[in-house]
Amino acid sequence: MIRELIFAATLLGFATSLAHAQSKPPLTVYTYGSFAGKYGPGKTVKERFEADCACELNWVTAEDAGSLVGRLRLEGQSTKADVVVGLDMNLAAEAKALGLFAPHDMDVKNLSLPIQWADDTFVPFDWGHLAFVYDSNKLANPPKSLKELVENPNGPKIVLQDPRTSAPGLGFMLWMRKIYGDQAGAAWTQLKPRVVTFTKGWSEAYGLFTKGEADMVMSYTTSPAYHVVAEKKNNFKAANFAEGHYLHVELAGMTRTTKQPELAKKFMAFILSDAFQSAMPEGNWMMPAKDPASGLPAAFNDLVKPAKTLLYTPEEVQQNRRTFTDEWLNATSR
Amino acid sequence: MKLPHPGSLVALAIVALVAGGFIALASVDGGKPALLSIGPYLVRVLLFSLVQASLSTILSLLFGIGVALALARRHFPGREVVLSVLGTTMVMPSIVAVLAVLSVYGRNGWLADGIRALGWTGDFSIFGYPGILIAHVFLNAPFVARIVLDGLHVVPAEQWRLAAALGFTPGQTFRHLDWPVLRAEVPGLAGLVFLLCFKSFAIVLALGGGPSRATLEVAIYEALKIELDFSRAAWLAFIQVAICLSITIVLNWTFTRPPVTTTSRPPAPRPDRVHRGLRVFDAGVLLMSAAFIVPLLLSVLAGARYAVEILDTDLAAAFVVSVAIATVAATISCLLAVALGAAARRHRLALRSPRVAALYDLLPNMLLAVPPFALTAGLFLIMRKFVDPAMAGFVLLPLINGLGALPFAYRSIAPRQLLAGERYGRLSDSLGLSGMTKFRLMDWPLLRRPFAAAFALSMALSFGDFGIVALFGGTELRTLPYLLYERLGAYRLDEASAVGLLILFTAFCLAHVSGRMSYADD
Amino acid sequence: MLTIKDCRLVWPDFTADYSLSVENGTLCAIVGPSGGGKTTLLHMIAGFETPDSGELTFDGQDLRPLSPAARPTSIVFQDHNLFPHLTASENVSLGLRASLRLTAEERTLVADTMEAVGLHRLGHRKPGEMSGGQRQRMALARALISRKPLILLDEPFSSLDPSLRRDMILLVDDMRRSRPVTILMTIHTPDEVADLADQMAFVADGRVVASGLPAEIMQGPWVYRHRPESAG
Repeated sequence: MIRELIFAATLLGFATSLAHAQSKPPLTVYTYGSFAGKYGPGKTVKERFEADCACELNWVTAEDAGSLVGRLRLEGQSTKADVVVGLDMNLAAEAKALGLFAPHDMDVKNLSLPIQWADDTFVPFDWGHLAFVYDSNKLANPPKSLKELVENPNGPKIVLQDPRTSAPGLGFMLWMRKIYGDQAGAAWTQLKPRVVTFTKGWSEAYGLFTKGEADMVMSYTTSPAYHVVAEKKNNFKAANFAEGHYLHVELAGMTRTTKQPELAKKFMAFILSDAFQSAMPEGNWMMPAKDPASGLPAAFNDLVKPAKTLLYTPEEVQQNRRTFTDEWLNATSR
Repeated sequence: MKLPHPGSLVALAIVALVAGGFIALASVDGGKPALLSIGPYLVRVLLFSLVQASLSTILSLLFGIGVALALARRHFPGREVVLSVLGTTMVMPSIVAVLAVLSVYGRNGWLADGIRALGWTGDFSIFGYPGILIAHVFLNAPFVARIVLDGLHVVPAEQWRLAAALGFTPGQTFRHLDWPVLRAEVPGLAGLVFLLCFKSFAIVLALGGGPSRATLEVAIYEALKIELDFSRAAWLAFIQVAICLSITIVLNWTFTRPPVTTTSRPPAPRPDRVHRGLRVFDAGVLLMSAAFIVPLLLSVLAGARYAVEILDTDLAAAFVVSVAIATVAATISCLLAVALGAAARRHRLALRSPRVAALYDLLPNMLLAVPPFALTAGLFLIMRKFVDPAMAGFVLLPLINGLGALPFAYRSIAPRQLLAGERYGRLSDSLGLSGMTKFRLMDWPLLRRPFAAAFALSMALSFGDFGIVALFGGTELRTLPYLLYERLGAYRLDEASAVGLLILFTAFCLAHVSGRMSYADD
Repeated sequence: MLTIKDCRLVWPDFTADYSLSVENGTLCAIVGPSGGGKTTLLHMIAGFETPDSGELTFDGQDLRPLSPAARPTSIVFQDHNLFPHLTASENVSLGLRASLRLTAEERTLVADTMEAVGLHRLGHRKPGEMSGGQRQRMALARALISRKPLILLDEPFSSLDPSLRRDMILLVDDMRRSRPVTILMTIHTPDEVADLADQMAFVADGRVVASGLPAEIMQGPWVYRHRPESAG
């Protein structure tokens, strides 16, 4: 057993020395797990940025956007993060309130977002509309609007995420609120019988959908592109709802505490460059925040284009989240 | 002044660690922790959790005990493999369990396909109680069976011979030999399973069918990760600990643990194994449980189809990291268990205060009630003043996993320590043995095997744990469960299933080692 | 009479082959080095081990096809004779009826037997609350009450201290004088029974090396060939 202890100690020591044995200045970037994972755009982004920064980019990951903000809050001023990539717009107000982020001083006027970007702290790096994804082989006539989905008692069964634990779950709750306003509670009651369940996160929900437990799953308009490109399957589609779709924007920001402000600024600028943006569609399966000169991959051109974009500001979300969540709970937990 | 017993120091340290974590979390905003009312929704959730966890516990116990008795009476080729499988299911990452349950019992699962093939044209849903109970029983009943079977193995051989000589019927055998063992094992086991189910969260949400089926842990998670309201999280965690603790105490008071007895003679055959009625009964129990467990395991095994696609350096690295963390965590949990076990023994034998000893027995179980997320966050807040936050994960991950495995390690180590004390305590006192010499001469010979078994089990538990990796996992701290969720996040459900299988397979190997150790006679 | 003739038991690492006769109503002490097969001999008579070949009869009845419960034997082990969750009188009653449902007469019999071994008034105690000597008395009482003619005692008093051991041996001696029982008893301190036993058998290497009067056996050359084990 002593041998095992020594082994473990050596391993930890090895990892530590790796972290310190860098001749080039390091840039520490926090992001969520799948961004830096095998299939995520992390590797490409690292290679391309390191090609001309004379630095070493280190990804540090937490599970998801919520964990990222939680970790930043815990670390406070002592955080090692120089840049954070992967914040969620609905958590932006909370993130900003941490007082850890510095203004970006960048030109964010001509982005390919469906909205005009004006925030001076965070820069969007990709986006997608929330949408219900279905298998067109199994569901021939998906609802044409949110109202149709909510109000048709014989409508398809859906699987959603819990808005208390999941970003798309929170997004859909806000979507319902946008369409139904103060009547959202009643709408939830109407929809509830056809909700298979509210899962902890996107992964569980998508897994349930893949296993055939539900006809539709709350995901993104970009999800079908994955099935086309990676699996060569054309039967997965996102349903286009007439009232418009709620927008999901992913954000990046640099910290005030960074010891490498020049490098961090350089990386922030890099985020809106073609080199970064062209890695988003087929790496993160989201729309790039600024269309690269090479254009979008074919599969992305065929995606559903919502007629209207729905969105609350981060401050509205922060102020109303508790009330909206309670309304949702009251309507669905009976 | 005489130094306090190391076990008392360990107990104190654990309590201080947990309390310190809570206080740090509660007072993070500089203010006093706001005493908040939990509201009617959380009261409903609590009630549901109590019912859900009680039902899961009762079913897991019934099922597990039935299987344990049947396995104790029957010997067949491949029995060893079955025993190792029993030690495996509990460490399954929750999403793997959810998907396995749906593959078999879901709307388009094997069961539904099977009945449809017979001409049935309905639709059914297992969301709600059925799904939650199936998943919880699947995860916990095999574990119960393993522990009970271990317990049945320590009945002295003389008593089995006596049963044969006195001509006991199967009923009398159960009453005089099996039941005393069950009575000794069940309270601790019930407490353990109850706590696991009471806190189970991803499973309850995924299979519950709606937010009325949730657990308190959801609210804690929400407070920590969405609201960033740490004092609320600390307060909710405190409520959870209080509830779990009172349930554990009640269980421990209602059933007092009889003294352990073991024998050095080789095991004697059970006289009731030849009873014809029992043969039929056991065959029924074993077939039924096989029919329940085997399809679920097969659906996990289906991940093997994608095994080739996951073989890369990421996987190798994650495997090494998982093994390293699991090794350190297991070391922590086993050493803590030995220290606590020694303290409990001292109070029970030398100081004659079984009540205090019972407190030591309670402490490891109490740790199960502490939400690991909240504890990690709290400890991090304390640590960040002394330790480089980038290094915090290296310390916290093994520590929290080690604490999480402590209740399980304690179960197998402490009773043997008590036995060593009962057998050789007076002798070693009269020889004036103390400290490490006493441990080496008196405890270690009896403790070696249960220690190794506990070590393997703790490793397996840490291996399958996702918990706090979510917060502190990183590129350098990527464990297998982390890799699993990362693949899921990139739509790679197939590859995730292969990673899940690898986790289970490792757990199976560890359970196999652990089983060999605990069954071999000494 | 108990007759054992060429009873062979074979294990991978040990072979036993016993031949021995014991007259009814006598006390036969079985001595020899530890690991020599004393306990195995008793286990074979009690039915826990089955000989591969040979004869095993008691009063002309073949014992081999009988289950342990059906044999004319009752046995007391060195340890773990009692069920810890039952009281003393319940443990004794098990020798009479495994169901523990006793008639009034049987209950009186239990009380009498407890008294005969010196345990009256302790009937309500659990084994955990009694001393080692009291526990073995209880086990003897259970063996007696079963009215089996052949009582097998497997190192019954080894864990007691010497003065207590002698008392217990006297109790055993008394038992066989007041009742028609035959007693086989393994013991690793032959001196303690030399004056009371009618017969002594020296068992080593899985064989009955010699059998006869205690005085003869304790003088024989086998005692030196097989160095006696140390007491304890």
